[in-house]
Amino acid sequence: MSIEPCAESVAEPLSEPLSERAVDALPPLDTAPTALVALAREAGYRSTPAPLAETLLVARPLLAAAGLAVPDGQLTVAAGPLDVRFTHVDTDSRVGPSGAAGTDDALRVSGTLHRVPWARAAEAAVVLTEGPGGGPVLFLLEATEWRQVAGTNLAGEPRDDLVLLDVAVPAERVRRIPAALVREATWRSGLARAALIAGAARRCVELTVDHTSSRVQFGRPLSHFQAVKQEEAKLVEEAALVAAAVEAAASALSEPDSAEFTAWLAAAQAAASVAEITRIAHQLHGAIGFTELSPLRLATTRMWSWRDEDSGERAWQQRIGRHVLDGGSGGLWQQVTGG
Amino acid sequence: MTLSDLDLGAVQLPPEATRLRQEVRDFLAAERAAGTVLGRPDSWLTGWDPAFTRRLARRGWIGMTLPRAYGGGGRSNLERYVVIEELLAAGAPVSAHWVADRQAGPTILRHGTEAQRNHFLPRIAAGACFFSIGMSEQDSGSDLASVRTRAERTANGWRLTGTKMWTGGAHVNDHAIVLARTDESEDRHAGLSQFIVDLRDPHVRVEPIRLLSGEHTFNYCHLEGVELTDEALLGRPGDGWRQVTGELALERSGPERFLSTLPLLSALVGQLQRTGACSPEQQARVGRLTARLASIRQLSLGVAAALAAGRPADVQAALVKDLGTRFEGELVNEVREILPIAARFDATRGSYPELLATAILHAPGYTLRGGTNEILRGIITRGLELSR
Ligand SMILES: Cc1cc2nc3c(=O)[nH]c(=O)nc-3n(C[C@H](O)[C@H](O)[C@H](O)COP(=O)(O)OP(=O)(O)OC[C@H]3O[C@@H](n4cnc5c(N)ncnc54)[C@H](O)[C@@H]3O)c2cc1C
Repeated sequence: MSIEPCAESVAEPLSEPLSERAVDALPPLDTAPTALVALAREAGYRSTPAPLAETLLVARPLLAAAGLAVPDGQLTVAAGPLDVRFTHVDTDSRVGPSGAAGTDDALRVSGTLHRVPWARAAEAAVVLTEGPGGGPVLFLLEATEWRQVAGTNLAGEPRDDLVLLDVAVPAERVRRIPAALVREATWRSGLARAALIAGAARRCVELTVDHTSSRVQFGRPLSHFQAVKQEEAKLVEEAALVAAAVEAAASALSEPDSAEFTAWLAAAQAAASVAEITRIAHQLHGAIGFTELSPLRLATTRMWSWRDEDSGERAWQQRIGRHVLDGGSGGLWQQVTGG
Repeated sequence: MTLSDLDLGAVQLPPEATRLRQEVRDFLAAERAAGTVLGRPDSWLTGWDPAFTRRLARRGWIGMTLPRAYGGGGRSNLERYVVIEELLAAGAPVSAHWVADRQAGPTILRHGTEAQRNHFLPRIAAGACFFSIGMSEQDSGSDLASVRTRAERTANGWRLTGTKMWTGGAHVNDHAIVLARTDESEDRHAGLSQFIVDLRDPHVRVEPIRLLSGEHTFNYCHLEGVELTDEALLGRPGDGWRQVTGELALERSGPERFLSTLPLLSALVGQLQRTGACSPEQQARVGRLTARLASIRQLSLGVAAALAAGRPADVQAALVKDLGTRFEGELVNEVREILPIAARFDATRGSYPELLATAILHAPGYTLRGGTNEILRGIITRGLELSR
């Protein structure tokens, strides 16, 4: 398995070293959803250089839901328009938007998937796109089948473009899927991102509490000063808020009626809290946090990217707002209390 | 405490809570149809309606957690949580019994004599006995241990002298639990005691202090040599500080610390629905508030569950109260941006401009009452220090 950690994470002075386990040994497929969310939070906390959250919370559940076998190793997820045709065209058919049906679901695919998380570290990618006959399809691409154009996010995490040049995807790796599964891919990605943010927020709190209790100015630790205390408390609060939203979404994963909306809430809150959490953590760190001398950046720069990825803060808020405004009077409180 | 203790985890409400929630909603729908005034912000401060209180009591929704032997409901904290969050979200007039239900009842159960329990608790649960909080004074706000009200020993009990301030509802309630100095000892925290004072006593003089809105809920409560028997002492002499701290935990952890302005947001949603098309900007802002509300509620439920399980949660309660009360104010600012309608206190009662005006005029109080947010943040960082 090829893992290319970002250059910076090699030297990162984490209190606990990155365990091999966190990167290599993935939990079994039947792991409880709440435990998977906990692992994603830990990956966010440790700045784990692998698509762990994507694998556990998005790729694997989507493959299982689509009835495809789940391969070993780290997986990534990509969605977007591609040029998709049937490999084996049914010559008798005259129907379908592309003019012909296939004798099976095997596809030939060309195009580019943009900014795919950790593609260079993944064994395979779960791809969602519009199928040749109309309607969404999901297929599994193996790492050898794409060409990679390296890119990174604000934290230096890989966000690679995948270039597909007439790739043949065999029928056993393709599934037509209902629109609901496309939605599920979206909210699962949002939850995965929220879990990562919750973990990174926790790291911001720990680093800040350590820093303010050890750094001395005016002859006293920073944590002695009222102004510092006031800000530090708000930091702790905002991180706890994200954790609560993510935990609620984790426990709703096993409740089909509320899983989607609760994941939206977690995604929206996690993204919205990034500004306050990173502002306070950096302010209380002083200049050292603004440099490579402190590991704070491993958390904060990731959070600045994560809040914009997988739809982004604004889109989550709009989804929630539309849902509430369409819900009739009393709708808001009923949505919040789950019915 | 460690940082992990701040992670309270998700709370699954028991199935009976879901049934109970529906019962409360049905009850509220009937009340709304019958014309009871609902949907008002900050209704637990100024929504005075003793008849409504008695209808709640008949349903068993006051004193729910008090033991049945004392006329209570013998129900769980989480069940009470569900009932009161529904009442608050609906902006129901609950201020008459609020303090009696939230803190006087549980405090008397915990520290009171058998005679006090038998006398007060059934009346509280029946919605027939209302309480005020007699803690703050002119010169004792955040620094509550500096109170100057004194109780001196007499032949038959105690004589109480001093002036309490900001005493909500003292002009309409039956009793106040008053914190007074009983011993001029060196340690400020020792030497304080609590008394149950009859507000109709001829030596109690209540003088109104009007709010920004002109409403009357605050008072000076002049205690002009009130003669008390020993039966008025609540708990042990000198234990007042410990008792009052426990009382503040009850006062700080509930859903009234983030739901005070929710009725305004619900009114805004109704207003937007009536006007039809909403811009993406309006949708996003409503969504942002909804996500924050839902997340704070999860934290608050976590505190309720921790308290119900007997785990200490003072720091967590302080955390939720700071987040929640700031949210109450942010919500008011935000709805003004979402739908720029000018607030008017003299507009028709219950109309959107009037609800907005009420929420604005009440806003400074959200982050002061029950311990200011600055003091709460001090509690949080003290918790962090202990975790180091
Ligand atoms: C709506 C409402 C209802 C109330 N109802 C009652 C009631 O029924 N009964 C009752 O007894 N009391 C009641 N109170 C009083 C309430 O408990 C006090 O207002 C509160 O404890 C703060 O005290 P204070 O107003 O004197 O402010 P102060 O203590 O004078 O504080 C003023 C400002 O200084 C800050 N400050 C003070 N000390 C510190 C510190 N050490 N560190 C940092 N900042 C500090 C405060 O945070 C605040 O911002 C009520 C208050 C309100 C607003």
